[in-house]
Amino acid sequence: MLNVVLFFLATSLVLYVILAGADFGAGIVELFSTKSNQALTKKTIYRVMGPVWEANHIWIIILIVILWVGFPDFYNVLVVYLHIPLTLVLLGITMRGVAFVFRHYDAYKDKSQILYDWLFRISSLLTPIFLGMTAGSMLSGKLVITDSYEQYTFYDLFIAPWLNGFSILVGFFFAALCAFLTSILLIGESDITNRKIYVRKSKYATLMVIGLGFLVLCFGFINDIIFITDFIKNPYTIVLIILSALLILPLLRSIKQATKVLSRTLAGLQVILILFAAMFAHFPYLIIASNTEMSLLETVAPEAVIKVLGITLIIGGLVILPGLFHLLKSFKMIKVLES
Amino acid sequence: MDNLDAARLQMAFTLIFHIVFACIGMVMPFFMIIAHKKWLNTRDPIFLKLTKSWQKGVAIFFVVGAVSGTALSFELGLLWPEFMKHAGPIIGMPFSLEGAAFFVEAVALGFYLYGWGRISEKFHWFTGIIVGLSGVASGILVVSANGWMNAPSGFDYVNGEFLNIDPVQALLNPAWFTQALHMTLAAFTATGFAVAGIHAYQIYKKRQVALHKKAFKIAITFGAIAAILQPISGDLSAKDIAKRQPVKLAAMEAHYETKKGAPLYIGGLVDDEKEKVSYKIEIPKALSFLAFGDFNAEVKGLKDYPKDVRPKVSIVHYAFQTMVGVGTLLMLAGFLFFISLKKMSWWKNKSFWLLFSILAPMGFIALEAGWIVTEVGRQPWIIHNIMKTKDAVTPMPGMIYSFYMYIILYGVLTVAVTWLMIRQIKSLNQAKLA
Ligand code: HDD
Ligand code: HEM
Ligand code: HEM
Repeated sequence: MLNVVLFFLATSLVLYVILAGADFGAGIVELFSTKSNQALTKKTIYRVMGPVWEANHIWIIILIVILWVGFPDFYNVLVVYLHIPLTLVLLGITMRGVAFVFRHYDAYKDKSQILYDWLFRISSLLTPIFLGMTAGSMLSGKLVITDSYEQYTFYDLFIAPWLNGFSILVGFFFAALCAFLTSILLIGESDITNRKIYVRKSKYATLMVIGLGFLVLCFGFINDIIFITDFIKNPYTIVLIILSALLILPLLRSIKQATKVLSRTLAGLQVILILFAAMFAHFPYLIIASNTEMSLLETVAPEAVIKVLGITLIIGGLVILPGLFHLLKSFKMIKVLES
Repeated sequence: MDNLDAARLQMAFTLIFHIVFACIGMVMPFFMIIAHKKWLNTRDPIFLKLTKSWQKGVAIFFVVGAVSGTALSFELGLLWPEFMKHAGPIIGMPFSLEGAAFFVEAVALGFYLYGWGRISEKFHWFTGIIVGLSGVASGILVVSANGWMNAPSGFDYVNGEFLNIDPVQALLNPAWFTQALHMTLAAFTATGFAVAGIHAYQIYKKRQVALHKKAFKIAITFGAIAAILQPISGDLSAKDIAKRQPVKLAAMEAHYETKKGAPLYIGGLVDDEKEKVSYKIEIPKALSFLAFGDFNAEVKGLKDYPKDVRPKVSIVHYAFQTMVGVGTLLMLAGFLFFISLKKMSWWKNKSFWLLFSILAPMGFIALEAGWIVTEVGRQPWIIHNIMKTKDAVTPMPGMIYSFYMYIILYGVLTVAVTWLMIRQIKSLNQAKLA
């Protein structure tokens, strides 16, 4: 059963990163567009994302619930030491969600739209940065896990782990990844005249991802961050990264030719490869603190709990996935299957 | 203010906020599908207009409910890490099922909101029903998790460790049924009266009367039925508490001295220091009867419990009085509505509409008061008789700043949503109806 739970944990992580990532990216792409393109992007996003908007964000709730039920001690470290960045993530999620409904459901479309739009765009950029920072701080080697809080300063325990170069770079890297996903998604959703815009954006975004990814690696290497030094030594990781590097050329070509299915598949694959490379680099030690490393698998809840959790997840999956699939299909979001 | 108090206030404040949106998001879909059904049956454009306008309300409340709920699912851990470390695995089941229910709801809502004219009429309407049912299911599940905090079960507590965990038994804890029943009725009462009240006010102001009368009738029917059932369910809860958490019962009633044939107090000022209640109305033997169904049963008083396991009596007592007082009022209003259906001349009377306008916020006042009874009445325990709240709180100092941040954030949101709703109603009133 533990494997089932781990499978769902990984699946919801991947789906959250891809689906919510594309959703955050929507706001980022809008933010970095000219005025006329902004309106276009807004309309396209609403058409494409509207029906699945809510569902995209539930993956993080599933993720949290699996963590707290199945891996309580692991979850405990996150919520105690990463309290501040997680609160910032929440703030971002709240602002974004609210801005999204407000701008589409306000009874009158007037000046207040400007406010909603800016709120949406800015929180779309900040939320993934904070999320990335949180993930970065798990691996930054700056966490101090302790029972005697008095021996450390507030800064050492609760600020330094996330407010450092490495975590911030990871944050920006994740935001770039989001923009990358969306701009490629939008290529296939716009008509021929507008396609150019998103082709160009996709290229920039791809370059940003590569550049920032490289920066994260260099920064980590120079500063001896254990995660990175292990990352570039681990054979699985190397294979995954080489694979993702090899895919960049066909990806750029498919972007240029605006082939919808191929570019989307390749973009999704890139994200999955990067994510798995990061996970495998140090699995199962997903928290690397300055004084200790914490294995996800050593924090597993008792057998009976995992069993019930696994069964619940399977049943939930059986109910939800067909519904979700049907939803995507009904609104022609899986045109891929038809073309 | 110390860290513990700040964390408590933040928890209370965010829940008070979430519950309003969650309840409306849970109950409004039912109003919407009734209006929708009436449109399908009669093709009266008023019903279509109403359905679409309620649908916007559902969407707005659903999202604000969802984001504030997401915040809560983090907060449980952020504020009470020790609690979640031990309780998480035990009460994981209602939460993971709740996750599934939310998901179903979100998918169904996707169909409903975007399905107009795109999917078959029958299936479209049916997805609305799914939205409503899965919303109620998630409400029931989360309340079962709360029930577990009141009546912990499904594990053995040995030397500070939780052993032999049985998540199914934890889900079906002794408190889940009475609490879930009472809470679901409360959601219908509160939302029913609130929505009906808003439409009653529009009728009072003579705006778009035909539409608002139809809306009023749908909403108040749900509210009135639930309000009439509510005292019965509340009595079940009270009898349950008498057995399960006698200290809480004593605090609710401000009952200090153990007595056979204990009297029931109505009103009264509680003096927490002197342990006395003054200016109250006493109904002899009523408390014994309400708690145990026997006029001469013995009801244990607060003085029989050590001071450090008693909740703050005044808050619990006042909150309980508020809930019961409002509950009685709304029950009477419910009867009044059903009588008015026989005496339609009342509907021409302005004071009828004024009355229901004034009642609009009452259900929510009772609902928040009820939660304060339950939660403050459980103190000092976070898990009744197992773990104290002070042992569960986060070690991170400075929680007060986090609390301020939430106050500002949710304060702004409340203003914004209110403003949005006013605009919805304004646009409804300006619409031209055939
Ligand atoms: C519209 C809202 C509303 C109304 C009119 C009432 N209640 Fe209530 N009550 C709630 C809304 C509520 C609630 C907010 O939903 C609570 C909090 C926890 C729960 O399960 O329900 C609650 C809790 C609650 C509890 C504590 C349950 C516990 O801690 O486990 C008792 C004993 C009662 N109620 C009793 C009553 C009685 C005797 C009422 C008579 C009129 C009444 N309630 C009306
Ligand atoms: C009194 C208690 C509560 C009730 C009755 C309740 C009910 C609901 C309902 C009905 C929804 C669906 C939103 C809608 O339809 O508008 C919702 C959303 C949510 N609630 Fe609560 N809730 C309660 C407390 C909590 C608590 C304590 C948590 C945290 C653990 C929580 C977590 C959530 C989450 C994560 C969502 C968002 C799910 C989504 O994306 O739709 N709720 N709640
Ligand atoms: C609308 C619904 C609710 C309201 C208004 C509410 C209100 C409150 C209040 C006033 C407190 C502070 C008590 C004190 O410290 O004196 C509190 C604490 C708390 N509540 Fe609730 N509550 C609600 C529902 C729930 C639900 C459904 C859950 C869990 C599933 C929950 C979990 C908690 C926890 C963990 C605490 C903090 C620990 C404690 O003080 O015992 N609450 N809530």
